[in-house]
Amino acid sequence: MFTNTVPVDAYRGAGRPEATYVVERLVHQAAVHMGIAQDEIRRRNFIRSFPHQTPVALSYDIGDYDACLDEAMRMADVAGFESRRAESKRRGKLRGIGYASYIEACGIAPSNIAGALGARAGLYEAGEVRVHPTGSITVFTGSHQHGQGHETTFAQIVAGRLGVPVENVDVVHGDTGRVPFGMGTYGSRSLSVGGTALYKAMDKIIAKGRKIAAHLLEASEGDIEFADGKFTVAGTDRSKTFGEIALTAYVPHNYPLDKLEPGLNETAFYDPTNFTFPAGTHICEVEIDPDTGVVEVERFSACDDFGNIINPMIVEGQVHGGVVQGIGQALMENCVYDADGQLLSGSLMDYALPRAHDLPHIAVATKVTPCTHNPLGAKGCGEAGAIGAPAALMNAVHDALAPVGVTSIDMPVSAHRVWRAIAQAKRAGASVAHA
Amino acid sequence: MYAFEWHRATSIADASAALARSGGRALAGGQSLIAAMRLRLAQPGTLVDLAGIAELRGIRTSTDGLTIGAMTRHADVAASADVKRTIPAVAALADGIGDAQIRNMGTIGGSIATNDPAADWPAAVLGLAATVTTNKRTIPADAFFTGLYETALAGDEIITEVAFRKPGRAAYVKFPNPASRFALVGVFVAQLGDGSVRVAVSGAGPCVFRSAPLEAALSKSFTQDAARQVKIASDGLNGDLHGSPEYRAHLVAVLAGRAVAAA
Repeated sequence: MFTNTVPVDAYRGAGRPEATYVVERLVHQAAVHMGIAQDEIRRRNFIRSFPHQTPVALSYDIGDYDACLDEAMRMADVAGFESRRAESKRRGKLRGIGYASYIEACGIAPSNIAGALGARAGLYEAGEVRVHPTGSITVFTGSHQHGQGHETTFAQIVAGRLGVPVENVDVVHGDTGRVPFGMGTYGSRSLSVGGTALYKAMDKIIAKGRKIAAHLLEASEGDIEFADGKFTVAGTDRSKTFGEIALTAYVPHNYPLDKLEPGLNETAFYDPTNFTFPAGTHICEVEIDPDTGVVEVERFSACDDFGNIINPMIVEGQVHGGVVQGIGQALMENCVYDADGQLLSGSLMDYALPRAHDLPHIAVATKVTPCTHNPLGAKGCGEAGAIGAPAALMNAVHDALAPVGVTSIDMPVSAHRVWRAIAQAKRAGASVAHA
Repeated sequence: MYAFEWHRATSIADASAALARSGGRALAGGQSLIAAMRLRLAQPGTLVDLAGIAELRGIRTSTDGLTIGAMTRHADVAASADVKRTIPAVAALADGIGDAQIRNMGTIGGSIATNDPAADWPAAVLGLAATVTTNKRTIPADAFFTGLYETALAGDEIITEVAFRKPGRAAYVKFPNPASRFALVGVFVAQLGDGSVRVAVSGAGPCVFRSAPLEAALSKSFTQDAARQVKIASDGLNGDLHGSPEYRAHLVAVLAGRAVAAA
């Protein structure tokens, strides 16, 4: 097939926004048709027993979907919604609220499952932890960072575990001449897979450090404990700092050279045993001006379970960015070709992206059920915002438009499209009344 | 962008002579022309830069109105206490043009000489029945805007100032294109000192225009409801991916009503 339209590829969420959209629009409509509250219909269908084997290969290890729904409803002030809706109505506006309770599969992937599903690559991640003679550390990761804050998060993992100041940890990524062969950043996998590779490399660093410490302290290796940056003989105050061990490893004058190589530099490849399953509930509230069709996003509340969180600020930023991207898709982003294949939305003069003033305050919270199968307990947070937001916003728009007879409207809900839907519903209503 | 000659004019006479000699274009704030040149949509051989002509800049007020020099920047109009006091709708309109960078460079003269169909200034000039003065003559607003990017100006004619009479009340309401923020539709409504009503519409058609049905309705009753009752014909209006002619026609009446309420 030949085409002059632009090739497309996976985009933030990659399949989960689409799946969530279909499922959550159906759930919303089902609740409307059966007269069940939007939170209640979701509660009735939540899984509460883990591990939960799904019919399609995946096995959910853990989650607490009620906790996220409860918190999202609290942040969204669902209790006050009806009075806000009445106040909007007094001003001639239509207000609606929409829910999206999503679950996604991240942390891709067990390589054998990926292979069975047709992937042509292994989906492990690689990490190298190079301790220098000074005790400072350089980390090499196969997971690339381009705005996700890996330099900070990965440095925190290493600094926290090895008990060195975070500023003494450098993170190297993206240079294939320097980093071990890795698989990259996608599927919200960098922390759960790439971070775990670093964790496994640190296991090796600590194990070797214990051997060196046992030699220096003339104790049995089994009696050496490592905590807070110190190797200590259990039950005594005899210890060696991490820095002393690093220096000894590189200046091996008093060293078990017959049993142990000098140096303190370890690499690990981590292949996950399962996917991770972040989940959460997003609630969106919109107000629509029926005279112009303009949809204003009035409130947005997101409560997500990403497992253990290393850096709350980065997580919050990821959710904000994802939600904004999702709102943009639902509300304005539109790639348009004319009948001759000419691209009409070829610049930002015609391709609308959300600006700050198009957005409300985005309330963000997290609940934690640690992932059971990686040592960090991390699930991943990079795409959740973009997964929950389109469905939540579109459910809110349908809720708002229901009183004027609009039963179905597609993304993006531009002002023009909303106005047209309202006008058509009015005409249909009028013709029904005359029939 | 193609190569061009640049002439920095020292006076209005010098600028006019340079335009006549070269067949080039006058450069005001450059916020439309430079962008068009960059996209190779415009290809003037010579640019005659008006920035050095001090007498083209400034705002004068009198008891019955306001005169704005052609090279006065939107930001200066928006910030002027005299403009805010005399015709607040004009200050508000200038404050809503483009973004801060555009307002700090773009000028009233450049805007109306370009006559972009979605520009804001033409709506105020036409809605307030302003008078455009050039180095050759004065032109009433009703005769100035002649079509898509076309005006009554001759090739060597330079706008020197625009004079607005103080209206009884006036307001401009714009519905921005969600991407470009230009007016998808902008409506300037004014009730002049003699009680007559003018309604000028930007963005909706190929050129700013007055709406006779809205003027008639609002002359009878200057109310939001009266505007909303008017059915605007969509014939000849713009249609694009952001709005059909029918949507723009609908918005004209809605925004006219909101302008009446704000006036």
